[in-house]
Amino acid sequence: MSRKPRLLVITPDFPPARGGIQVLVHRLVSELERFERSIVTLESPGAAEFDDASGLAVRRVKAIKQLRGGRNLLLNAVAYRQAQSFRPDVTLSAHIVTSPAAAAIRRTLGGRTVQYFHAKEIGAKPRLAAFAARQAHTSIAVSDYTSRLIQATGVRPLDIRLISPGVELPSNVAPESAERPTFLTIARLEDRYKGHDVIIRALPLLRAKVPDVQWVVIGDGPLRPGLEQLAQAHGVADAVRFLGSVSDDERNSWLRRTRALVMPSRLPSGHYAGEGFGIVYLEANVFGKPVVAGNVGGALDSVADGESGLLVDPTDPVAVADAIARLLLDDELAARLGRGGAQRAQAFTWPLISERVEAVLLEQLRASARWDSSAVPA
Amino acid sequence: MFRVMCGIAGSTDDPQGTAVEAMLATLHHRGPDDGGLHTDPGTGVSIGARRLAILDIDGGHQPLCGEDGSVWVAFNGEIYNHEPLREDLRRRGHTFSTGCDTEVLVHLYEEFGDALVHALEGMFAFALWDERRQRLLLARDRFGEKPLFIHEHAGELMFASELTALLEAKPQLRALDPAAIDAFFVLGYVPGPGTIVRDVRQLAPGHLLSWERESGVCSERAWWSPPDGPVKLREPVEMLAAEAERLLHESVRTRMIADVPVGVFLSGGIDSRLVAASAAQQSTRRIQTFTIGYDVGSFDETVQARRVADELDTEHHEITLTQTDVAARAPALLASLDQPLADQALIPLHALSEFARPRVTVALGGEGADELFGGYPRYRWLERAERIESALPRAVVGPLGELLRYSGRWPATARLSDRISQAPVLERHLDWVTAGRRHHRKALYGPRLTVLDDGRVLSDLVSRAGNAEDGSIGRRLMRLDQIDYLPDDVLVKADRAGMLVSLEIRSVYLHRGLAELAGSIDTSLHLSGQGKTLLHSMLPKGMAVNSRTSTRYRKTAFRAPAAEWLRGPLAAALHRQLEHGMIFKEGYFNREAARELAREHISLVRDHSDLLWPLLALGLWVDRFFGVVDVQGAGDVA
Repeated sequence: MSRKPRLLVITPDFPPARGGIQVLVHRLVSELERFERSIVTLESPGAAEFDDASGLAVRRVKAIKQLRGGRNLLLNAVAYRQAQSFRPDVTLSAHIVTSPAAAAIRRTLGGRTVQYFHAKEIGAKPRLAAFAARQAHTSIAVSDYTSRLIQATGVRPLDIRLISPGVELPSNVAPESAERPTFLTIARLEDRYKGHDVIIRALPLLRAKVPDVQWVVIGDGPLRPGLEQLAQAHGVADAVRFLGSVSDDERNSWLRRTRALVMPSRLPSGHYAGEGFGIVYLEANVFGKPVVAGNVGGALDSVADGESGLLVDPTDPVAVADAIARLLLDDELAARLGRGGAQRAQAFTWPLISERVEAVLLEQLRASARWDSSAVPA
Repeated sequence: MFRVMCGIAGSTDDPQGTAVEAMLATLHHRGPDDGGLHTDPGTGVSIGARRLAILDIDGGHQPLCGEDGSVWVAFNGEIYNHEPLREDLRRRGHTFSTGCDTEVLVHLYEEFGDALVHALEGMFAFALWDERRQRLLLARDRFGEKPLFIHEHAGELMFASELTALLEAKPQLRALDPAAIDAFFVLGYVPGPGTIVRDVRQLAPGHLLSWERESGVCSERAWWSPPDGPVKLREPVEMLAAEAERLLHESVRTRMIADVPVGVFLSGGIDSRLVAASAAQQSTRRIQTFTIGYDVGSFDETVQARRVADELDTEHHEITLTQTDVAARAPALLASLDQPLADQALIPLHALSEFARPRVTVALGGEGADELFGGYPRYRWLERAERIESALPRAVVGPLGELLRYSGRWPATARLSDRISQAPVLERHLDWVTAGRRHHRKALYGPRLTVLDDGRVLSDLVSRAGNAEDGSIGRRLMRLDQIDYLPDDVLVKADRAGMLVSLEIRSVYLHRGLAELAGSIDTSLHLSGQGKTLLHSMLPKGMAVNSRTSTRYRKTAFRAPAAEWLRGPLAAALHRQLEHGMIFKEGYFNREAARELAREHISLVRDHSDLLWPLLALGLWVDRFFGVVDVQGAGDVA
């Protein structure tokens, strides 16, 4: 058989919309050239131009705002229709909200299914997550923490693989000097667990050691006004710069200038999930910058304590202040962890990560009754 | 006479430590566990402390110094996160010689300087003398749970946990401030940072004060204030409730750490129910709960409290505060307070603390929940009234209020009609809280108070409430209560009621993280439904009650049947006050007008308890201040 194996990718998140899952799915489909790929996703502003330029076969489902949850229903329906004509050998469901379509395809059209798990969605929709894990031939979890979240839903999936997201290697990672001792946080301001509040509580302590310290906050969201108020309440508003969302260039420019990236993500309360992996830590590592992260959740996989950064109790402002102060004041330590991080990040580049995902997909293909296993490229 | 059991005192102009000794003796009166004094004769600085031992009973001698003996600390209160702090500091190479939380302060100061306060989660007031830098640092906790009084004169400072201690050491400070008396009558408490005497002030909650020997310069600054971020959030309520629950558990867990038995005060309301449930869940032993009821009046929470206790399987204790007990207890208690306080709930809280004391040394309380999570109905009603008014032309508002009043058969309509008027909202708020006492000033004031400016108490309050553009009415009122009513009334009540009988009341809701979470949430969420939305959503499933049909978790907080007491057990004290009280003799109040009120009240013509109670509380207090003892009512009751 000479045709390429067919891969259907169903995802609610895809560029040009921004975010970690968007990047992950896009990088994977771009690299999986051994497959004939079809992507079903939601409409987003600027999508037509993006799809034209990418050359990928993308089918967009109108993302009508008023539909809310109904949007995903529509996405599943369209994906199923697409599968009827595309006849995928493997279906990759990039998010649990697309698992119903993947399950339906598996049952009615045959073929293998692979389900991606990130973290947050498992806490928010544990029953759907359990369904998704039960239905898939293989599940990919982005971290050990994510895999534990899946198992906490009470399901023993057939097969779980840990494959972290990958990281881009920018062309220019040469450090630049900052006018003040600076540390950086990059995250949307919509999840409390990211620990911006704890950094604000740590700032007065940090200032006692580094009086002219500056905290640059990249990212926007509904928590911003509250955080600005909290900084006022603690008398540190003049040490914080909320930049909102910025361009990739500006973000990279701050990554070149900052001494460290700090995001003390904690485990959220109740059944909600925290940091699935924390790709941003590796993105800082790529720039040779050490990180400070919480010693819980996905950060345990993305950060090597004492090698690429410092893991601390993310709920303890004193511990957070202490870790940041060490990186700001101890040049040798910062340089050593920066180097260690840059080296470690090399294992997380996209080509390596997509190779691992590809291997999982090919394995599925070999197990498929429909596919002549001898024809599967090794 | 009652005395605060635990406290600190100091002076910058007392080389031998004699004045500080005298102040400590005042704080020491009832034989506490330990005390100590450090004098620095070269500089004239002396600081000292008396201690009620709760942690490291044998090892926590104060004042403490650091590794090299150059930093001395006198501390009053509790640091709930002292264990993790100790670990943090050990990792930084500090060595500890006691298990006492005070020692943590010395090392934190060495590490972070004045910013050490930011590392602390707890209730505290402390003085720190840095011998090397010749600098004194005074600090008070975020919400003002622990008191600190200051007298500043000619570049020198004196301070103490009790106003009385300062007056003892420096009798010339004994001059009442008529403006403070005016404010007391209107509000029912002495608003900070002033005090009832002219030349003593309080260090405001969340403030630091530093004093340099060299220059004698004293500078004061806020290090924390309640956050005020009215944010519309997309987070589901359940997610916020989960976060609040995590923090509440943490707060309860850390507040239960003690080398002595810990109990919970149950009022029957939702606040104490959540506290008790969390304590029961986290305790290895059956927890002890305490509640109080009355033999008169219609406020009784004992049934609700018992139901909660049964459900949580606690070792429940209940007392009835009898009228005989009130007659014996209240006059002496009101007289012996450090500053006058007209909060009627002081009496039951004191009785409950005394009752609990033989069984526990620490009790968890629910103070602050109403102010932080929007529990008081006035927030909702005034906000509703404001919404209606802003939608209507001015000319319609007044008549509408009247119309609602006459047509209102339902309590809700009547309440709303009371709140709709053309007066500014803050005035209406004040009148609601104080039963409109300010309108009685003219009739009741004597010559020493009538000379005061009419609008000052109100305008002070308005200026503290902040700008109208700063958010909704509900938000402004909540914030005002957090910086005013909470520290100066609610927390004074809890601190004094407990300390007078050597019981420490720990307020679970005044946990930093919990308070900051509450402050970051949109007021409309707090105030939706019956208020305290977040706390209600923390109730276990099936317990979340329909607020319209159920009274199970209606707001209750040890309310007291003051009207009945004034007619019964306290009638005699009231009469003695009207005959001999110094507040009348000294020309502060008009005896005839007060007599008329008392007559009407006792003969059931009208309920004047809202006016008579502050007069009685103040009268008893002022009499003691002038050294007059109410022979029949006062005594050493504790």
